[in-house]
Amino acid sequence: MKPLKIAVMSLTHGHTRKYYQTLKDNPKLDWVAVCAENDEVRDIFEVGDHGVPCYMSETEMFDAHPELEAVVLASANIDHLRQVEECAERSINILSMKIPTFNMAEYDRMIKVVDDAGIVCQIELEMHYNPVVHRLKKLIADGEIGKIISVQATNITLSPVWAFPWQGSPEESYGKRVPLNDASSRFRGGALCDHPHIFDLIRWLTNSDIDFVFSEIAPNIRPELEVEDMLLVNGKMKDGTIFLLDPSWSRMEERLKVPAPGWEVFPKRMEVNLTISGEKGILVADCFGPNVYHNGAPNDRYTVQYTYFDEWIGLIDEFVDCIRNNKQPQINLKWHRQTIEAMNSCYKSIASTRAEKVI
Amino acid sequence: MGNSFFTSPDKALQYLLEKYQVKQPGSITDDGVLEVDGKGITLLPWRMERRFIELKKIIDDNTLEDISTFRFALLTSSSTASLDDLILQELDICEWLGNSPIARIFAVFHEDNAMNAIVKLENRFSCSVECSTMLPAGAANIDRHEIIARRGVASDQVVDTHVPQSSIYTYTPNNEQCFTDVDAEIFGLSPKNIYLVRASFQVLSEPRLIDEWAMQYRRLLGLVKIARHSETDNKSSNCRGCV
Repeated sequence: MKPLKIAVMSLTHGHTRKYYQTLKDNPKLDWVAVCAENDEVRDIFEVGDHGVPCYMSETEMFDAHPELEAVVLASANIDHLRQVEECAERSINILSMKIPTFNMAEYDRMIKVVDDAGIVCQIELEMHYNPVVHRLKKLIADGEIGKIISVQATNITLSPVWAFPWQGSPEESYGKRVPLNDASSRFRGGALCDHPHIFDLIRWLTNSDIDFVFSEIAPNIRPELEVEDMLLVNGKMKDGTIFLLDPSWSRMEERLKVPAPGWEVFPKRMEVNLTISGEKGILVADCFGPNVYHNGAPNDRYTVQYTYFDEWIGLIDEFVDCIRNNKQPQINLKWHRQTIEAMNSCYKSIASTRAEKVI
Repeated sequence: MGNSFFTSPDKALQYLLEKYQVKQPGSITDDGVLEVDGKGITLLPWRMERRFIELKKIIDDNTLEDISTFRFALLTSSSTASLDDLILQELDICEWLGNSPIARIFAVFHEDNAMNAIVKLENRFSCSVECSTMLPAGAANIDRHEIIARRGVASDQVVDTHVPQSSIYTYTPNNEQCFTDVDAEIFGLSPKNIYLVRASFQVLSEPRLIDEWAMQYRRLLGLVKIARHSETDNKSSNCRGCV
């Protein structure tokens, strides 16, 4: 199979650096170029000595590399529609970060331009390529705990805003400045926007869609942020399964400009744990554990050093397979739409203090 | 008596009452009920658990600063307790650790098997409460009590684990076993009976607790009822005035 000519756009998303190893190692890829959002981002990229050219504008990169077949949209949410349209015009396939947009009119516009251009647009939800999730799905499919009746899931992390400031900006993350509720001085666009995985997972695990959600914000543990960092969500699936989700930034971090060892204040910087009650029993899962532990440099602080398998291997394999063999990715724009609707309904619920139906 | 091995909660209680010269008499029946003058006394035995006492101390001493959220879970078997029993216990721990009454609750239920609630305390702390009775009969409870603050996180669960740990594990040709003994003074009883004895001893030592705990228990029954109605109401139900 001919290697896929691929580039990375913007380099401002927190997951950007997770691609570098796969882009270099995967023989199905030919990493051609990147373009950086600004000089600071370019300088950070160039420290890595990746051996690919870094352009300062998307147009410049596209013009210099007409051979490009695909891009990773590693940008702030507010840039996604413009970049999708630009790629679609050039028939370039897209691997989009996990939130295409929270504006559903924009979302539908993305679906249309992708369909009209006949390109692949895969959404980056890397949990689907996690070996613990593979086992989880198999155990459930094999009927180990019977029909699911309740799911509790965490997607809790440190806050990336110090390294990726757009994630703390209501406009750049949520798309506009919307107060969380009448009593709050904070705005939509924080931890919830960073954590779609568990909304997506409950849909996959139950084979059902989300019926309604209820959500409450808690006092921010980073009071200086304009956006929410602590919230809880519960609700029901259309098949009657109840759920409880925690998508908070509840793990404190050192305020590093570039993620590096010593980022963690709490020993474990990220967790996706599930407790699933079924009619025949209960399953508890830690998707990123067990790990190894140290209290060495730089802070002599007890720290979880992750050992999990590189999920980007499977994610990129699927992306290439879909492009080369004209397939639809598992997580495509149409599938992902209800997940985004559910997250929007959480914000509505925070404002209304009522449970909100998900369309 | 230092090396005694207790098998009866009542014998353990009488031992403590005598040792500490507590004047108020009382006894624990075979059904695990504390009786004073032939009348059953309501207990909140979980408040005697060392881990909750230490978590409370961490809060009350301001070891954590600016608390935001509690994350509680209690999973058990339906042969051990009813779903409402689990909810009642966890709601009490919310109020007791949080030093604040519950202001509102929104809960979703799957019959009498599972419940997931979001609770708001009057002092603005948020709490998630997850309860399920779907563990098989004989399985040890799984629970978690985590407190998240601007400064610090406290939990009764070890970092990077997702089930409770034990003090001793044995691996022998017979089977695997684990032990967590929590009280050397009345050693030999199960944790559940230890807390029953300790709670009984507490109310007999401080008789004002008899009315205080009874009143709190009635309030908790009301909160469970409110939780059960919140989904029908389609909104977080107001708990103010629940006494």
